[in-house]
Amino acid sequence: MIRHLIKLIWNKKKAHSLLIAEIWASFLVLFGLCTLIVFNVRNYVQPLGFNYDNVWAINLSNNQDTTAVVEKTQQVLQRIKAYQEVESASLLSSELYPFSSSNNGTSATYKKRNTGVNFLATDENFAKTMSINTVAGRWYSRADVGGKYVPVVINRKTQEALFGNENPVGKVLADYYLKNKWIVMGVVDTYKDKGEFMQNKATLFEMTVPKSDWYKTLVIKVKPGTDAVFEANMLKAITAIVKDWNVQIVYLDAARKSKINQTLIPTLIFLIICGFLLINVALGLFGVLNVSIARRRGEIGLRRALGATESSISWQFIGEMWVLATFALVLGLLLAGQFPLLNVFDLDAGVYLVAMAVSVAVIYALVTLCAFYPGWQAAKLQPAVALHEE
Amino acid sequence: MLTNYIKIAWKVLLRHPFYTFITLFGISLTLTVLIVLTSLMDHLIGSHYPETNRFRTLYVERMALTNKEKTMINSGSMSFKFLTDYAKTLKTPERVTIFSGDHKSNAYVGAQKIELNSRFTDAEYWRVLNFEFIEGKPFNEQNIANGDYVAVITDGFKKQYFNNSGELVVGKRIDIENVSYTVIGVVKGSPITRMFSYSDVFFPYTNPKSNYRSMEYGGSYMAMVQAKKEADLPAINEEFQARIKRIPITNIEAGFKDGSLEVRSEPFVQYFLNVLSEGDPARVATFYAIVGFILFMLIGLPVLNLVNLNVSRILERASEIGIRKAFGAPIRTLLWQFIIENIFITFIGGAIALMLTYALIYGINASGWIAYADLSINANIFIISLLICLVFGLLSGLIPALRMSKLNIADALKA
Repeated sequence: MIRHLIKLIWNKKKAHSLLIAEIWASFLVLFGLCTLIVFNVRNYVQPLGFNYDNVWAINLSNNQDTTAVVEKTQQVLQRIKAYQEVESASLLSSELYPFSSSNNGTSATYKKRNTGVNFLATDENFAKTMSINTVAGRWYSRADVGGKYVPVVINRKTQEALFGNENPVGKVLADYYLKNKWIVMGVVDTYKDKGEFMQNKATLFEMTVPKSDWYKTLVIKVKPGTDAVFEANMLKAITAIVKDWNVQIVYLDAARKSKINQTLIPTLIFLIICGFLLINVALGLFGVLNVSIARRRGEIGLRRALGATESSISWQFIGEMWVLATFALVLGLLLAGQFPLLNVFDLDAGVYLVAMAVSVAVIYALVTLCAFYPGWQAAKLQPAVALHEE
Repeated sequence: MLTNYIKIAWKVLLRHPFYTFITLFGISLTLTVLIVLTSLMDHLIGSHYPETNRFRTLYVERMALTNKEKTMINSGSMSFKFLTDYAKTLKTPERVTIFSGDHKSNAYVGAQKIELNSRFTDAEYWRVLNFEFIEGKPFNEQNIANGDYVAVITDGFKKQYFNNSGELVVGKRIDIENVSYTVIGVVKGSPITRMFSYSDVFFPYTNPKSNYRSMEYGGSYMAMVQAKKEADLPAINEEFQARIKRIPITNIEAGFKDGSLEVRSEPFVQYFLNVLSEGDPARVATFYAIVGFILFMLIGLPVLNLVNLNVSRILERASEIGIRKAFGAPIRTLLWQFIIENIFITFIGGAIALMLTYALIYGINASGWIAYADLSINANIFIISLLICLVFGLLSGLIPALRMSKLNIADALKA
């Protein structure tokens, strides 16, 4: 049966080459779209790792005031902690609050194993403020400071990259210059600070070093229901301490929304455009099949007269389309297969494979749908009518 | 002859409404996407309010310091002093303005919080950019010298801060980060996509929070250098680069001693491409490859689709072709007939696409996706759209026309 179908198609290869090209191109577009969607969905299902409800970030910048920056920052922190509306407050590297647009990366090494990590320095209250749970060990505390090494917490991704199955708690890590510097106090699950659509990346939290003016961002968790009136009062109190500084307050849930939109809007636009392209292709295929099947009335009549059933006629046309689609898909898969093989765009091979599988399924569904109605109409043809015309 | 072809094309369109629908659906959707993209591109890189002099302006947005060993690069905006020393004093340009990047802060009105962007500018800023003043006037050199606490605000911010009241606000006071300023002017806001003019509030650079006294090279300022005419731009760039070359890098922050300093002054399109690619040639190549692929698919797929449909419908026209051939019409004439027919149909699709685009653009502008968006269909976009239609028509018409005109007379007459 299949050999017969292939022969039928081979006989009209010139007419079919354009159809194959069209299906091939549709597959590639679909593959691109599916890759994007699969990539984003896979990232989305990974937990965020922290809670942003009622958390605000406060960015301080000292401008031209360079006297006693550390002391003034500490004063601001103490003032904020004194409010009863504030449940918890933490100081961290400037501008590196969750959902910010800033990044800081470095690398960490353990016994010749090396990985790039997102780097963030925070004080001991960060885990409490952001509701981060440790899965092994514990978050660092004030008491850990002063030893030979700087206390750090890593996420599971870093653990996998550096330690494999080994227990990392208490181990010493080397920094970018391969100097032993950090001691691991605990492990957290995930920390996707750029939002749900961010890829789960290796992360390293370092305990803030005293007397450094690198840390001028605060995150604070306020009691539910705290409003802008409190915020304005707090701002007034802060600016009373640091007069010529800039003070910017960001609600993390608002920052998160804009981060999510950065991924969601382009994906949606791409999805809409591809959707219309595919509808276009489906209509076109349907038209082409309608015309070409109508022209094969003689052949259909003959087969019917020789005893072919209605369903076998329908299946013939659907089968022909499947064979055509398979040709196109083999060509398409050869090209798409280069993406995981050559590691283009640095994505996990699994993303490409799932995208390929989904695209192949959609293409088969599409051609089946397009061949179904014309095939069904052809099958209804009375042999006498069809043969009479010849 | 042409009218005849068009008449025939029209009749063919009317004969099979379903196929006509498929054809026009494909054409108009594809063209809509392409025209909207063109309009978006024009919005991003064209000369529009208030940056109407983009074509004769050079942008000095960042400097890149590389150390001697080329292992470290420090790149970012510059300090006010740096730009005053090396850009403000240029001889060839008409005007030079120095202004800071936009900076987020908050203002409070009662229990309501307003998030706003502000920037610090000099007085020249208001001459280089063509802001439309709804109320009041810009701050001038005198305000700056006095260190006045004045601000120019946008109409959007006025609405938020003064609760939609229609009254004039010049002379009223606004509180931003607990500092009180007098409103000196209200301008029509600029879209968020124009990073050199977008902001809610503009302060004179002598504001105590502006950091303009910093002695370092790096800072938060950039400059626009405006020429009298576009042709002067290369000369200005030359003068600027000659100055940059003479800057001593010996007394610079540790680690970058005897390194190299690069400060580009470039026209907007070039600047825009550099931002997209982050100055990395490999990324430029990837970027072009992706854009090329998307455009190829966007045009290629509908073209293939149309070609397929037209080729399979060849026999509908067989009798006509047969008769014309039998009476001696050469292949070339038939070829032209079918191509012209196809271009005619494409233009119908193009007209529909223009209407759809108009609706879409209206929707985008009204939706507030891009604050102050002013996408439009102007003469340039219209001409580009016509060109796109022509190319699309030619591409999708050629193969079917070739197949049709090559049809055998006997076969054609028999069918």
